[in-house]
Amino acid sequence: MFRPTNRRVRRTAATAVILALGVGLVPPIASAAGLGGRATGGGAVATGTWGATASVTSMTFTSNTAQTTTVANTGSVALGAESYSVTLTKPFFFTPTVSLFECPVPWERGACPGGTGTRIGGTLVAPTTTTITSTTPLAVGSSTYLQVEPTGVFFLPMTVTLTPEVTSPAQLRAPIRTNR
Amino acid sequence: MTTHRHTSKKERSHGKLVVAGLLTTSAALMATAGVYAGLSATATGAESVSSGSLNLTLSPDVGVGFSNFTGVMAPGDTDNVYVNLNNTGSLASAAGMTLAVAGNPVNALTSGSVPGEGLTISATQCSVAWTLSTGNCSGTTKTILASTTVSSLSAPVALSNIPALVAATGQVAHVQVSLGLAATETSVNGVAPAATVQGLSTTLAYTFTEQQRTGVATNQ
Repeated sequence: MFRPTNRRVRRTAATAVILALGVGLVPPIASAAGLGGRATGGGAVATGTWGATASVTSMTFTSNTAQTTTVANTGSVALGAESYSVTLTKPFFFTPTVSLFECPVPWERGACPGGTGTRIGGTLVAPTTTTITSTTPLAVGSSTYLQVEPTGVFFLPMTVTLTPEVTSPAQLRAPIRTNR
Repeated sequence: MTTHRHTSKKERSHGKLVVAGLLTTSAALMATAGVYAGLSATATGAESVSSGSLNLTLSPDVGVGFSNFTGVMAPGDTDNVYVNLNNTGSLASAAGMTLAVAGNPVNALTSGSVPGEGLTISATQCSVAWTLSTGNCSGTTKTILASTTVSSLSAPVALSNIPALVAATGQVAHVQVSLGLAATETSVNGVAPAATVQGLSTTLAYTFTEQQRTGVATNQ
């Protein structure tokens, strides 16, 4: 019952011609130069991800009460340092300042349990946009805890945005050399 | 019935004549052919010849050789494997060798789609077997491929400093192949840039190719 149509016949013929041309065009190894020796090997490789994520990236202050955010290493590569892009808006009146402190455990009532927090960066004066860097190593999945401490805020709101940034390779763990 | 018998005898007699004629003609033709065969002459000689082979083999020098890297690579990391390239054929090879590397799947690690980023490969030859624990060569080393992006190795690239890498039959080259990752990227709040080499995987296929020595003209 199957009868090839003219179109099918032409298509089959065209396919055969293309295949024949293809076989002819693929050169055998060193066909013109003589014999060629070839050896092959291989293996799979995968790359990691790097980055830190803040639980809170925007804070609004109407008083000098500190606020906190948790920064976690959400990548698959350990970090040797992290940067924070910080932007302060200036209220119409007053010129508040902000200081950032880091603690290895969550802050409790404004204090770093077991000691004092570590200041990162200098005192920032509103308005400003700047980048400050922490040299705290962060293992994969671990966190560090930041506290933003303002001064000079009276009723009028000041906004602080804080965005973690991780740049490779400088802020990643030390390079690993594998011999296998 | 008698008439029939008489007719058959006549036909038989004619048949005999025909057969005799054919035999005579055949004999005449054969005799003529024999005259021509007698005029030809043949001379023969023999020479045996065998072809050589050109075989390049790849095997681990120390360690596992080419195989899967089970960790995740970060920029600046180096993954070294150690392989032997051996000319096991009966023919010497020409000086020089090429290396091509292909990735499957093709992505930013191997395509060069992110400028300045991707996997890199370098290769160093040691005069003796490498020391796996340290990755050092106790003999002399030659850099045969400086750090090169895999995207630049999609077409065969000539290895340098290897005039006699495996030129002679049975000669072995101890080669350290170093895989690296070049990437300068900033992740913002845990998010990688749109064009990134982060979180990718591929399988690399290395192809080393040598050519036979120049043809030799012999007069004997």
